Amino acid sequence: MARRYLRLLGAQLRIAGLVSLQYRADFFTDGLLSLFWLGVNVAPLAVVYGRRETLAGWSFPEALIVIGWFTWLKGILDGAVNPCLTAIVEHIRKGTLDFVLLKPADAQFLVSTAKFAPWRGVDSVGGLLLLAFAFVRLQRWPTPGAVLAALLLLCTAVALLYSLWLIAISVAFWVVRLDNLAFLFGSVFDAARWPVSVFRGAWRFLFTFVIPLAILTTYPSLALLGRLDARTGLFAVLGTLAFFVLARQIWRRAILHYSSASS
Amino acid sequence: MRGAGVARALRAFPSLLRVGVAEAVAYRAEFVVWLLTTTMPLIMLALWGEVAREGGPLGGFSGADFTAYFLAAFVVRQLTGVWVAWDMNREIREGLISMRLLRPIHPLVAYAAENLAVLPMRLLLSLPVALAALFIAGRDHVTHDPALLGLFCLSTAGAWLLGFGLMATIGALAFFIESSLAVADLWFGLFFVCSGYFVPLSLFPAWLRPTLDLLPFRAMLGLPVELLIGRLGRAEALHGLAIELFWILACWALALFVFGAGARRYSAYGA
Amino acid sequence: MPAAFSAASIEVRELRKHYQVHRRSAGLWAALRSVARRPRETVRAVDGISFSIAPGERVGFLGPNGAGKTTTLKLLAGLLYPSSGRLRVAGFEPFRREAEFLRKITLVMGQKQQLLWDLPPLETFELNRALYEIPRRQYDETLGELTELLDLGRIARSPTRQLSLGERMKCELCAALLHRPEVLFLDEPTIGLDVSMQLSLRRFVRAYNERFGATVLLTSHYMDDVLALCPRVVVIDRGTIRYDGDLGSLVRTLRPEKLVSVRFSAPVPPAEFGRFGKLQNAEGDRAVFLFPQDALQAGVARILAELPLADLSIEDPPLEEVMRELFAASARDEGPAPGGAP
Repeated sequence: MARRYLRLLGAQLRIAGLVSLQYRADFFTDGLLSLFWLGVNVAPLAVVYGRRETLAGWSFPEALIVIGWFTWLKGILDGAVNPCLTAIVEHIRKGTLDFVLLKPADAQFLVSTAKFAPWRGVDSVGGLLLLAFAFVRLQRWPTPGAVLAALLLLCTAVALLYSLWLIAISVAFWVVRLDNLAFLFGSVFDAARWPVSVFRGAWRFLFTFVIPLAILTTYPSLALLGRLDARTGLFAVLGTLAFFVLARQIWRRAILHYSSASS
Repeated sequence: MRGAGVARALRAFPSLLRVGVAEAVAYRAEFVVWLLTTTMPLIMLALWGEVAREGGPLGGFSGADFTAYFLAAFVVRQLTGVWVAWDMNREIREGLISMRLLRPIHPLVAYAAENLAVLPMRLLLSLPVALAALFIAGRDHVTHDPALLGLFCLSTAGAWLLGFGLMATIGALAFFIESSLAVADLWFGLFFVCSGYFVPLSLFPAWLRPTLDLLPFRAMLGLPVELLIGRLGRAEALHGLAIELFWILACWALALFVFGAGARRYSAYGA
Repeated sequence: MPAAFSAASIEVRELRKHYQVHRRSAGLWAALRSVARRPRETVRAVDGISFSIAPGERVGFLGPNGAGKTTTLKLLAGLLYPSSGRLRVAGFEPFRREAEFLRKITLVMGQKQQLLWDLPPLETFELNRALYEIPRRQYDETLGELTELLDLGRIARSPTRQLSLGERMKCELCAALLHRPEVLFLDEPTIGLDVSMQLSLRRFVRAYNERFGATVLLTSHYMDDVLALCPRVVVIDRGTIRYDGDLGSLVRTLRPEKLVSVRFSAPVPPAEFGRFGKLQNAEGDRAVFLFPQDALQAGVARILAELPLADLSIEDPPLEEVMRELFAASARDEGPAPGGAP
């Protein structure tokens, strides 16, 4: 079973690669754009730290680490998640989702691996550079244990991103003319560029429990800095798991809805 | 002849408005989604409010000032957001633009009318926010000068016109290049930073300010916002409006030119 | 033909598919009011149909737009969940969409495509090979056969976006048949194609059906498709079956008359025509008569004997006309449908 899906993943990746080779020029536009957005994302931070030493306990290089993670994840979001999102909205709009549902493989798997935009991965490189720069400014390097914890949390972050995305897609079954779904996703995700402790009250609750942006960027950054306690880490892993299960359930409901309400 | 086109568009406006409202209601889920995508100023509000609370006022902005600023930014953005570049890009790509070129109304005017038609619904949503802003941030954060309030309305209308001209120019680029949406992306990046959407412009380093004032970005958001919360005197306001007017004329001329050239090319080579 | 087939390939009993739609009238006020309360109504897309199809049969689904043809096809393919009724296709309950079931069927939609737009069709074929886990040898063999039957040749190697509609449709069929399905659902497969392409697709479907013993269920707007391919037709209107049987007897029951068209070699005064039988129309040197089956022989004999003929032919009434009459009759019976599915 697992081998079969690995083979399928290979086949889908191959196709996606071939398609993106058809659009080689995108490499330059996407690459330049991602560098540009890196600058855009750092600008407000530079303004704050131009006038303050710390913000909610975060120094400038530490906040840069959060932005580094954010850029990293944005590369994954734009490279692997958003293309599938737009592809499925297109499927629903054109009615070609039927073909996907008629394939003898899990539909969730198929739509989640249907499309990649490897050129967008340039973002991830930018993110790594930013991380390196931040640690140079901090004048110390993370311990191996911290790196390991951060990598673990990277996995939860990607899984969480994926779950949030799946929930967003499922919404597309109920509201078909949802061209701006990617925009919504992008703009909610944008808030993850700030350490969650910057927010107070309702906002912090929202970004920790409802749309857990904290798990996406703040916790991995804390882990990298060696400041994450085990309880929070466990919370991140369990929370991600819960979101994953929830997303899968919503997806199944959506498919059921699709096959019982449409004509 | 162009004047006649505008007059025709104005006559058609009530029906376009009706369609716009009906669509907004029929697709209200999408409308809510769209609304949620524009909540960035509220996040910025939380953020900068916290910054001010933590270490005292920042560049003359107290926590309450930030609240007023970003609430005003939210309202202005609601009123002036334009997405015509995406519509145009899609229609040019799929060849739907042919239908528009056949109609007796200039396509840009028709697009403008369609975009305006969405406004009543947005107004319905942003007015409560505006009122809340008034009470939360306190009366003294909104300007009492009727002249400035008038100028605020003027500059907001101008911000819409300017945004539309720019977006239409970018949209019309789709006649010539594949990646006109990448240009839009680039534009948005600059807009977010340079218009006062992320940070009030007065917090930028002093040596940057004169350049930022001259660029078209401030006129699209920062200027009306600063007017509303009473941060500008009459003289400064008029100065800003003059710059805004210049950019509106420039952008519309550019939009008409690019669209005209693109449409000629389109009809010469086909879709 | 695989021996594992049960007696029937497709078995449908009292199948129903109802769904709720929101209704709103035009206008600003109605739009605003519908925010608070949206009036719903039930559309009976499929309303209690029963039939069974034997393995290897070719059956045509006929009906006007919105009759429920496509809905039925989607129910059979497992894309829609039935509101009630029993449904078995190739021994499975379709809506469970078990992998084993999906490997046995295929759906081709003339208006939608599964081919990857930017890549040559061959890449879609390869992807389907992975999806359906077709062993390499069987894949090569099937692809070879399909390439030959469909005359694909170089087409499969050029990017899909550069192909003509007809070439694309050929490749769609190929992609849909690589896993050698036992049941084919074809929804308007020839829509928009020119006559010669329609002809070659028909020939192909027939050849595939004969070679692999597959069951074929076809909907089409082109009566010629049905005429050429399907010995049996099921006529659906407003979600119910109006007729199920062979095509010839449908035409005979509805239009028991034969058309006799003649061309004269010398002018004939129109007043003469009445003597020979019911005249359908006359124009210049041509005339068309209608004869009941039993009066045909005598009528033709008289025409041959008494009129100056250049040409004479005997035909069934065109299927389009027969259908129009059938549906017009059902509309008169029941009055306008409430709401009506689009």
